[in-house]
Amino acid sequence: MSTSNTSVQGQRLGLTCCPTCTNLCQTQQTICSRCGQAVTSRDHSSIQKSWALLITAAILLFPANLYPITVMTSQGQVRKDTIFSGINHLIQLDLLPIAIILFTASILVPMLKIVGLGIYLLAISFELPISKRKLMAGFHIIEWIGRWSMLDLFVISITAALVNMGQIFDAKPAPAATAFALVILLTQLAAKVLDTRLLWDRLESNDDRN
Amino acid sequence: MDRDVLDKSIVLCRSCDLVVRKRALPSGVRALCPRCNSYLYDTPYCSINGMLALCLAALALYFPANFFPVLELHFLGSIRTTTIFGGAMSVADQGYWVVAIAVLTAAVIAPGLLILSVLFQVLIVKYQLHNPFFRKIYKGFLCQHKLISQLSMLEIYMISIFVSVFQLSDYTDLYFGIGTFCFTMLFIVVIFLQREYDIEHMWSVLDEYQ
Ligand SMILES: [Zn+2]
Repeated sequence: MSTSNTSVQGQRLGLTCCPTCTNLCQTQQTICSRCGQAVTSRDHSSIQKSWALLITAAILLFPANLYPITVMTSQGQVRKDTIFSGINHLIQLDLLPIAIILFTASILVPMLKIVGLGIYLLAISFELPISKRKLMAGFHIIEWIGRWSMLDLFVISITAALVNMGQIFDAKPAPAATAFALVILLTQLAAKVLDTRLLWDRLESNDDRN
Repeated sequence: MDRDVLDKSIVLCRSCDLVVRKRALPSGVRALCPRCNSYLYDTPYCSINGMLALCLAALALYFPANFFPVLELHFLGSIRTTTIFGGAMSVADQGYWVVAIAVLTAAVIAPGLLILSVLFQVLIVKYQLHNPFFRKIYKGFLCQHKLISQLSMLEIYMISIFVSVFQLSDYTDLYFGIGTFCFTMLFIVVIFLQREYDIEHMWSVLDEYQ
């Protein structure tokens, strides 16, 4: 499909799309006529908000991975597991499929999200010549897989509730669990607040091919 | 400018602000943005009675799914069970309330709100849409719908139950409870409900009655 004659921004026609109900509004409107919520053509502060959330999440990623996330007691022996050592332990137990699921949900997805969103924000903030189409494809993947990080927290809550027999057999969450929960929350928010239309405005001149 | 004429003929991409001319689609086909591949619109199924039936089925399953045990652990002659709610509470008891809130929101509160919200929307459309008071409530529900459906993570909790079973099966015997069956059924019903529900269509219902 040729982009030369089809790529007209809504902004150029003086139109914008209500973020709440997707109703078409005129750019000078401040309140959507259908749902009564605030309408803005572009949210320029969203880049700053998204950066702030993302940087906080990136910092929290360290305690989330370095501190233990669960404490397991089995026949008097106490094991403190970090996310990584827990997965390692699963591999030793020959539970490779489970190890792969947990590795993807707890390590790969949060890292990819932070790196991916970082690249995306850098591209908007510094007008880097990266293909917009690729950035957007990455963004859609980030939005879709992000929620799967919750898996580990669910598993911890089920395990902690079931395995609770004092010295003989016991499982408890450890400090990294809170840090990890905050990483998930903050990265989801960072993707949600970002106004992706800014990418297509700002890179228009640098990368017209895409 | 006449809003109604605009509404029917073009849409703006929410991700990149491209102006796209709307075309009729065969059912079950989604229209994507030609520039950035974001979802634009599709043909809704949206039978009000179908949604009502699904909501009632989901509501009937919701309580047993949340308050009957999902897993049973047999260890040295003693039996421990846990519910979804109990899992979150046991994490909170140990001071990890950020994790507990995340689990409760994603697995209990958001799915419950989602079902109730759709149920009320369907009932209002069916019986009371001409009443200004109920129209206002209906609008409120529609405005919050996106957030609630993003927060509800039944599918991830499903997988978490199985991951926990495999992880713990190395130490002890585990059995599925009645809760697991109800939860699986709830999960399936909610998938169908989300497939049937179309927010654009629900907004346009509001316009039609104006
Ligand atoms: Zn687009």
